[in-house]
Amino acid sequence: MVDKKDWDLSRRELMKLGIMLGAGSALGGMLPGMARAQDKTLDMWWWGEQELPGLQKFVDSSIAGYKEAAVKGMLQDTAVVISQFQTAAAAGNAPDIQFLWNGIYHMESVWLGYLQPLNGLVKEDVITASSPTLLSNFGGKTYRMGWYPLPMIWIYNKDLYDKAGLDADKAPQTWDEFLANCEKLKSAGIAPVGGGIQDGYWGEWYFGHALGQNVDSAGEVIGLFTGERDFRDPKYHEHWVKLEELKKAGFLNDEMSSTELYPGIDLIVSGKVASGLSVGARVPADSKTMKGRIGIMPMPVYGKGKLAGKPIFDSQGLGIPAKAKDPQGAAAFLEYLNSPERLKAFHEATGWIPANTGFDMSVITDPVVLDMWQRWGLAPNIPYLSNLVPGQFYEQALLPTAQQVVEGKITGEQAGELAYKVAKEWREFNPDIVENYKKWATDLGG
Amino acid sequence: MNNRSRLVPYLYVAPLVLLLAFVFGYPLVRIFEFSFKMVRGINGPWIGLRNYELVLTQDVFWESVLHNVQLLLAIPAMVVISLLVSVLLYDRIAGWKLYRIIVFVPFVLAIPIIAVVMKRIFQFNGPVNEILRWLSLDFLALDWIGSSDVALWTVMILIIWRESALGIILFLARLLSLDEALIEAAKLEGANWWQRVRYIILPQMRGVIEFYSVVSVITILAAVFAYVFIMGGGRGGPGTSTMVVELYIFNALIRTSLPGIASAASVMLFLVSVALIFPLFRARRRANADEA
Repeated sequence: MVDKKDWDLSRRELMKLGIMLGAGSALGGMLPGMARAQDKTLDMWWWGEQELPGLQKFVDSSIAGYKEAAVKGMLQDTAVVISQFQTAAAAGNAPDIQFLWNGIYHMESVWLGYLQPLNGLVKEDVITASSPTLLSNFGGKTYRMGWYPLPMIWIYNKDLYDKAGLDADKAPQTWDEFLANCEKLKSAGIAPVGGGIQDGYWGEWYFGHALGQNVDSAGEVIGLFTGERDFRDPKYHEHWVKLEELKKAGFLNDEMSSTELYPGIDLIVSGKVASGLSVGARVPADSKTMKGRIGIMPMPVYGKGKLAGKPIFDSQGLGIPAKAKDPQGAAAFLEYLNSPERLKAFHEATGWIPANTGFDMSVITDPVVLDMWQRWGLAPNIPYLSNLVPGQFYEQALLPTAQQVVEGKITGEQAGELAYKVAKEWREFNPDIVENYKKWATDLGG
Repeated sequence: MNNRSRLVPYLYVAPLVLLLAFVFGYPLVRIFEFSFKMVRGINGPWIGLRNYELVLTQDVFWESVLHNVQLLLAIPAMVVISLLVSVLLYDRIAGWKLYRIIVFVPFVLAIPIIAVVMKRIFQFNGPVNEILRWLSLDFLALDWIGSSDVALWTVMILIIWRESALGIILFLARLLSLDEALIEAAKLEGANWWQRVRYIILPQMRGVIEFYSVVSVITILAAVFAYVFIMGGGRGGPGTSTMVVELYIFNALIRTSLPGIASAASVMLFLVSVALIFPLFRARRRANADEA
């Protein structure tokens, strides 16, 4: 128990204390360097702990270790990442650093004037090394830095391939090889391919992998939304036809329609389904669980487009709002996050790789993860095409069509018709954004 | 009473009225305003009735409306189940007090919690289908949440189960306030259980049944978001099979950055709900009169 007397101060003692505090403050004010730098404050709104546990730890340690400014971090809720930022930006209260999903998820904010280009603020070599991907560019400027990568991959369970008498070390390169493998797996009583599509996201991933089979550039995809190209053209809905074929052949797992995305991937890891879609950030843990018996591959090729069979690379990122109160300070903090020491700290905190191509790979011990990073992160790759999709199309066509094809409710061709109809509706709902999309296509090679 | 003293009561309630006007009135005015604008960010140009035109010509909106209407079919089931259970509890079957607590538990639990549990239970290889297969009833082992043909009915089962709890408690409260002498007299006259329910109990419960029915209509038109959000994978799926008007509004506002469209749909939903409030008040008055 504290004795009240211990806290009693005489008037003289109180004055002494006051003089000491005053002198301390004055001295602090005179000191240059660290103490003054902390007068600078930066607000950082970020997201990612939800999909990458350990990111909070990394952000906290980065803020604690940064001496040039006091950074105040705020973890955003998934549902409001965009709306919260846009509302704040419109009201002139944007943070200095904002988390940004790739492609259209931040491009609308660019078009609304809520983000500023990073060129001229952040060193060009740092921007490039951070893997922002092509989808961060508009009007020749880059609006987003990469933070952590999301290689989009197909995986297969090597033990199940062994069980079916297949060569587990030889991933199928073509669609025909893949179908032949599926046939053998099915004969062995194994669900050949699938996962979970109840929450719809599998449909997004599938679209991102498969649409590229018949296109030559990301810009070509833009034309499907602006009306210059048409989903009813067989080459633009063939991916849904291929999905329909998998369904009709009985290759998809029977619980796929009632299972969500991540529990669906767990089915592959636990040996209940042989192959399916996944994302690179899961690989370190899944490889450990499967004792390295996980195969990683791009989608087997059936199309003739230039993007067919290429590794797909996406990244989560950070940007600087147009009305940031200290853009230079924000840029300096972004550069700090890409320093070798911080990249190492990122790996230690999350177990995952930072998006920076300068990351010291010697700390990656799992050969599966190392192989994936070399093939997807460092070799030539293509952007994730689902990030070009307008929100309305995403909700009303992209997710529903794949779900309905998987449950056998509609054909691939009907999916193309629905996609065409929704793309047309999107143009009617968003005449102002269509023009921006057309301009964006020039940055994307359209 | 002079003019000044007449004003006094209004002055007492004025702060609360102003607060309510600010909390509810201001957003309402803004929603009406936004419904006539192409909003980007927090404002946009005036476009007249264009948002309404776009909403009303979109298939997915009408599918959403149709699903809300289909869900109304749950109400007769809710009323019948609530009546049956409440009358059984009123008959004081052994352990009725415990049962009364048990049947009300679903209503106390948050919808997302029970919806998540139900979703697990109704998975294709979940407990419901496992039991059905074990009983050799494979033909009944449907893809409860993964089939477009079945998913809405599964949501309806969940709604009936949870919302009936409110009906049971409301009906039981009314039953407990009935004059037991009437029922005893009917028993002495030789009326069987069904006759007592049909001719003595039900006529006296008309008001509360109407009240519960109207509340349920409003619930199903404007408050089933949590059910469909969880059961439909957050998307009103599979496909658009569990999409309802609330989710349509949510998607327009949050996921497709179309506040103007969301506002137009909200205004229409608001007007329908307001139209239903009048029968609600009438039913409430009748229920009060019955109890008096």
